[in-house]
Amino acid sequence: MNEILIQSIWLVPIYALVGVILSISWSPGIIRQTGPRPAGYINILMTLIALIHSLLALSATWKQPAQYLSFQWLHAANLDISFDIEISSINLGALVLIAVLNLLAQVYAIGYMEMDWGWARFYSLLALFEAGMSTLVLCNSLFFSYVVLEILTLGTYLLIGLWFNQSLVITGARDAFLTKRVGDLFLLMGVVALLPLAGTWNYTELGEWAATATINPNVATLLCLALIAGPLGKCAQFPLHLWLDEAMEGPMPGTILRNTIVVSTGAWVLIKLQPVLALSPVAANFMIAIGASTAIGASLIAIAQIDIKRSLSYSVSAYMGLVFIAVATQQDITALKLLLTYAIAMSLLVMSIGGVVLNTITQDLTQYGGLWSRRPISGICYLVGAASMVAFPPLGCFWTLAEMANNLLMIRPWLVGVLVVVNALTAFSLTREFCLVFSGQVKQMTVRSAESLWSLVLPMTIGMGLALHVPILLHQWGLLPEWKNLDSTVVIALITSTFIGASSAAIIYLNNKIAKPIVLKPKAIQDLFAYDLYTPQIYRVTIIFAVGFISKVVYWFDRYLIDGVVNLFGLATILGGESLKYNVSGQTQFYVVSILLGMALFIGVICLPLIPQLTF
Amino acid sequence: MHLEYFLLLAAALFCIGIYGLITSRNAVRVLMSIELMLNAVNLNLVGFSNYLDPSNIRGQVFTVFVITVAAAEAAVGLAIVLAIYRNRNTIDMEQFNLLKW
Repeated sequence: MNEILIQSIWLVPIYALVGVILSISWSPGIIRQTGPRPAGYINILMTLIALIHSLLALSATWKQPAQYLSFQWLHAANLDISFDIEISSINLGALVLIAVLNLLAQVYAIGYMEMDWGWARFYSLLALFEAGMSTLVLCNSLFFSYVVLEILTLGTYLLIGLWFNQSLVITGARDAFLTKRVGDLFLLMGVVALLPLAGTWNYTELGEWAATATINPNVATLLCLALIAGPLGKCAQFPLHLWLDEAMEGPMPGTILRNTIVVSTGAWVLIKLQPVLALSPVAANFMIAIGASTAIGASLIAIAQIDIKRSLSYSVSAYMGLVFIAVATQQDITALKLLLTYAIAMSLLVMSIGGVVLNTITQDLTQYGGLWSRRPISGICYLVGAASMVAFPPLGCFWTLAEMANNLLMIRPWLVGVLVVVNALTAFSLTREFCLVFSGQVKQMTVRSAESLWSLVLPMTIGMGLALHVPILLHQWGLLPEWKNLDSTVVIALITSTFIGASSAAIIYLNNKIAKPIVLKPKAIQDLFAYDLYTPQIYRVTIIFAVGFISKVVYWFDRYLIDGVVNLFGLATILGGESLKYNVSGQTQFYVVSILLGMALFIGVICLPLIPQLTF
Repeated sequence: MHLEYFLLLAAALFCIGIYGLITSRNAVRVLMSIELMLNAVNLNLVGFSNYLDPSNIRGQVFTVFVITVAAAEAAVGLAIVLAIYRNRNTIDMEQFNLLKW
């Protein structure tokens, strides 16, 4: 029985795909009479089946060696592309995480999408994401990881563009697709370049190859940079981070998925590629630079946001930056654990905020206030999520951050500083949001704001239960770092930074003596972070301008030069006809001249060579 | 006397005929120029028949035919000129440029 469950693990993405296809039937244009709800219920059922299957398979593979399956996908000439599947506890754990978060998000969407007709489209896209992510974590081949990443990029475009009658949704979906696409295309370059070097796309074999590979350091650097570029765009790292901000225009249950696991798809590929990336120290430094600058920059930006969803989205970028740092310093297991603890915490935060937004309509933090007494469950869920997100013992992320900082202390001590600063800033940002939303004076928008429906509260509380149990689970699985191995100064620094961040935010925002909204003394700095370092403007004057200019030049070249040369031939022929017709002058005598001239010319040409032969 | 002198004279007469043919504005003068050219041809034929074919004088036979045909041609030509004159009241060649482009 166990063996069957393990061998048929490839069914898990199929369940979701069945959901995709079935739920399309309830599009308003197909089933016109009975409304779209069954689409959601079917998907939840499918996710539940996938969850049960992966949970059973996980328990069956627990502490077992990894198993590998392989399907032939394409065999042509010398190229052999097979779809490899790895079945290990890590992969199945990720599968369970994906199924759980999908289940939560889909149940959440029952309530959230109550007043919406687009369930068929929405749920089929959610299921497409579930299928894609399940495939991604199962497949053991870089090539198919790339395939899935691209499909998910398309899925992101469609999911963000769900409510496409809003103009900001259109631009957001466009940016999300193009930005992630650019990264993916660089990744494709890396993927293609890797095959002749390593001869395989299988992660396991790539790891073996990388262990003994000796390649030109320049080649290694370029290769690794290309391989990093894909996850760089996927994980919303600097400078490809604007899309995540604009992706907050999409529906909230989609946001739950995006903020927790979709952005993690890039990180997953990055972690899988860690042995290859270790080939190039330059690439490692690049990853650290990207990760550190994103982590600090995005957490600063998160503090300056007034949109509640966007504030959370920058924290996502920041934590993905931490994952980048972890991978660059070759702590792939720690990175995986960070993804797990972070995803659970972030899903809780987004679910809590989504419930608040649904009933309070506004997303503007400055319009919120005083919800704690009326929305205790949302508030507690938010608090637990925030505490699990930062280094707050004994909750989830504390352990992973502490382990990461402890490992970093050996290799690059200054990165511990980055970690501490990011932790403090995130604590500040999350506390600021909490204080602005749940405490203080009741504002006009929040005068009446009741706790949400059961279907929003249920996944939220289950998520809270998960978040509270994460340390226990980690302990059970033997994933917690040993206390005695942890450097106490690092742990103290992390905890202190959390408390400094959280308490300073609390002091600032709970204190009525400080005028709200808070204005920093140099307003320019506040604006710089509030407007996301003016990234849209930077894009516009650099890459968009360059591409736009070149396309205009090429269009002009095509329109006027290429087209013009061909048209010139036609025009010249027309002109020739139009002008030569005047030879038909209508004068008989002119024709006679032409005949005579023609004859004279002909005779001349014929007779000229004969002249020297004449003898008189 | 050499054949060449006859030929040169005939060529000169022919060229004068050509000059008249392409420069005259009067349609009758055009016909007259054609007659000049035909007569130049006749001179050629007679010259060749005298110097190259004195026994058979086939050139002179040709000449008789050319004179006959030329007379008929001149008659038809004058008829055409008359027909045009009836319609257009002029025999100026420059006015006959209706069939152009």
